[in-house]
Amino acid sequence: MNKTLNEEESNSVSRREFFKRTASVSAVAATGILAPSTVLADDKNIMHHTEWGTTLGDEINKNPYGVPSAYEHNVVRRTSALMSSAGDMHAAISMTPLHALSGIITPNGLHFTRCHNGVAHIDPNKYRLMIHGLVEKPIVLTLEQLKRYPSESRILVLECPSNSAAEWKGPQFGTLQMVKGMMACAEWTGVRLKTILDELGLKPEAKWMLAEGSDGSEMSRTLPIEKVLDDVMIVYAQNGEALRDEQGYPVRLMAPGWEANLCVKWLKRLEFGDKPWYAKEETSKYTALTASGKAIQHFYANEVNSVITSPCPEVPWTDLEKGDLVEIEGLAWSGHGTIEGVDISFDGGKNWVEANLKGLVLPKAWTRFSYMYKYEGKPLLLQSRSYDDSKNVQPTVNQEKAVVGVEGVYHRNAIITWAVSDMGEVSNVQIRS
Amino acid sequence: MFKLDRKLVTIGMTLALSSTLAMAAASAAAPGVYKSKPGAIDGGVTYPREKGNYTAYKYNEQSTKGVRFGRTPTANEIKAWDIDALPDGTGLPEGEGSVELGDELYEAQCAICHGEFGGGGQGYPQLAGGNQSKDKNGVVITLKNQRVYGNTDAPKRTVGTYWPVATTLFTYIRDAMPYAHPKSLSNDETYAITAYILAQNGLEVDGEDMDDDEFVLNKEKLMKVVLPNRNGFYPNIDGPNAQEDIRAFFADRAKNIGAGVRCMKNCKDPGGKDGKTPPTVMKIKYEMSDVVPPYAYAKDLPPKKEGGISHPGKADYEKACAVCHKTDAMGAPAVGDKHAWEATLKKGIDNVYANSINGTGGMPPRGGSTLSDDKIKAIVDYMVEASK
Repeated sequence: MNKTLNEEESNSVSRREFFKRTASVSAVAATGILAPSTVLADDKNIMHHTEWGTTLGDEINKNPYGVPSAYEHNVVRRTSALMSSAGDMHAAISMTPLHALSGIITPNGLHFTRCHNGVAHIDPNKYRLMIHGLVEKPIVLTLEQLKRYPSESRILVLECPSNSAAEWKGPQFGTLQMVKGMMACAEWTGVRLKTILDELGLKPEAKWMLAEGSDGSEMSRTLPIEKVLDDVMIVYAQNGEALRDEQGYPVRLMAPGWEANLCVKWLKRLEFGDKPWYAKEETSKYTALTASGKAIQHFYANEVNSVITSPCPEVPWTDLEKGDLVEIEGLAWSGHGTIEGVDISFDGGKNWVEANLKGLVLPKAWTRFSYMYKYEGKPLLLQSRSYDDSKNVQPTVNQEKAVVGVEGVYHRNAIITWAVSDMGEVSNVQIRS
Repeated sequence: MFKLDRKLVTIGMTLALSSTLAMAAASAAAPGVYKSKPGAIDGGVTYPREKGNYTAYKYNEQSTKGVRFGRTPTANEIKAWDIDALPDGTGLPEGEGSVELGDELYEAQCAICHGEFGGGGQGYPQLAGGNQSKDKNGVVITLKNQRVYGNTDAPKRTVGTYWPVATTLFTYIRDAMPYAHPKSLSNDETYAITAYILAQNGLEVDGEDMDDDEFVLNKEKLMKVVLPNRNGFYPNIDGPNAQEDIRAFFADRAKNIGAGVRCMKNCKDPGGKDGKTPPTVMKIKYEMSDVVPPYAYAKDLPPKKEGGISHPGKADYEKACAVCHKTDAMGAPAVGDKHAWEATLKKGIDNVYANSINGTGGMPPRGGSTLSDDKIKAIVDYMVEASK
């Protein structure tokens, strides 16, 4: 009874080990047929009663707010000193464990987080949102009043414009989580800003909107009016529940498809004006310096992008045998519109095949792609390349570098290459000159 | 589904241009899956809202006219929150501050992160320094630096070499600084620190050199400061044509941002500066692996947590002191560093209490906080306890 599960599990063998052990006595390895029961010791996990099947479980209200299985404790956001200032984790970023996600929805506790002055905790009873400037009727709203407006829900990707910023000069991180984890996709619910503005009476000279947060950094950004009136939302819910503190509880701005920095958290104030503000994060940060020595100051939509999530460094093919038919799976997204397709290359970009999209295909959201592949145990240079309905095609490292150089920090969307070894191990490499 | 449509277009166009099938397929396929409309300001598409549909989403078509909650803010409320400033000086408050006072405040409250004279340090932004020289086209030369694995100098993005406008410096400092105690500086103090940072960048206003202790900055002077890299940004975001300029810029993404092509067979990737150098496989040279929490993938039970009640000084430490004392990066004794704390305690605990309350070296009084003597002492006790 005191025997732990780990001891139980140590008696089982992986499929690869099994084939190695049995290859000389059986032809199953060659045919790829699953193990016949006669050649392997009986699995104790099948032969014995389990601990969980022979005891009373927890009372159903042990966790009034549910938590993941304790066995999933390694599926967490991760960060690095490189993504902070001197290891200080108040102005830092933590990355979503993309390798462990299924489908297109990121659980709230795993949504990547970027803060400029720590995670603020706002008392919703003291929360106020002010909308003023070039409007006929300025307004101040409590949270309850904001929620009285008709709501809309959208499944949207949020991506930090710094996603992959460490990779401009060459591959530096060894995992999918750290290479591409500054993004997540969730269902966001709130009010379409235009619904409120229609009633406030936007003045014709209003060309820009300042969005300002109420945390210690008072994050602020400037947005052009066209976007504001198209699809910008003020959101208060994330995957069906209130925003998490680290996502701006109780209210954040949501500019669909645009860099997450523009989606100001802990939103306090929206002001309309006829000139851009040159806000705090439109100076040395969030402007993209190009090789010309000049910088792109206002950089809005996240580019068309994709990455293969299986296999990846964290989910290698080391358990596969030659001849196994396996799914290559990944995520594609574009802040400009809707993903139309994804191509896959096995030889580092010389030749490509069309993958299939699967599941929901929504604008400005993660889109899953899939390709069935017969594993041959040969080294591969695996790539994905997405394209969208705005005529964008994801560039190679060289194609992107040739135009903007390597010091831009932001908006990197070059094709990602996974080198798959003959043993099925996966590592992050780049094809570049 | 969409791919099928496009194939139909191709087949239809080739075989029978005039056939109704080809016409129907072409009109269905042209705007994309969700009838997208090109020409959005960000270079992307927009989608129509019509007949209760927005792309794959349904929406309620009933009028929302007349929906209004909330109230009109009072003039004082707007005044309290509307304190932003524009590049032309609109919104800047009255007040003034000298470079001399700025120097004093900077040394006490800013240098610990941003380094002496704004020179940067330990990952926090560098505010001054860097070569401001320009080429014949008016581009700051060092901003063209392109690093190759650290072989060349990084382009420095300081106020003097990179920032577009000076008014942002004022609002940034007043609203978001000092980092651990934002909004604690008065307008006068903010003008003083702004003056000091501009002075460290060797800037002048109206022909007056700011690098002089006597120099006093105020609203009228700040709005006249022209930063060296004022024209170092694109696309144009000012004036009546700004948004059309932005639209044109993002419309030409192949030229301005970089774009791929959908080649399928025997594709050639443009390589090197000459466009001919063949691409090779670049592997990770120095893997960044200092990840927190460390990489782990096992599906096992987590290690048992250590129990116990947390120290009374711990919470305040995390809020007010951890920024500098978590690591030794800023020269402060790091919590957990036994040797550093033995050295700190040489003159006795009362001396440490006194230093923490009155300030010492680069550390401001009470670490810049407004905590009581007792709370500061509890924090010191916690730091000592945690460093044994």
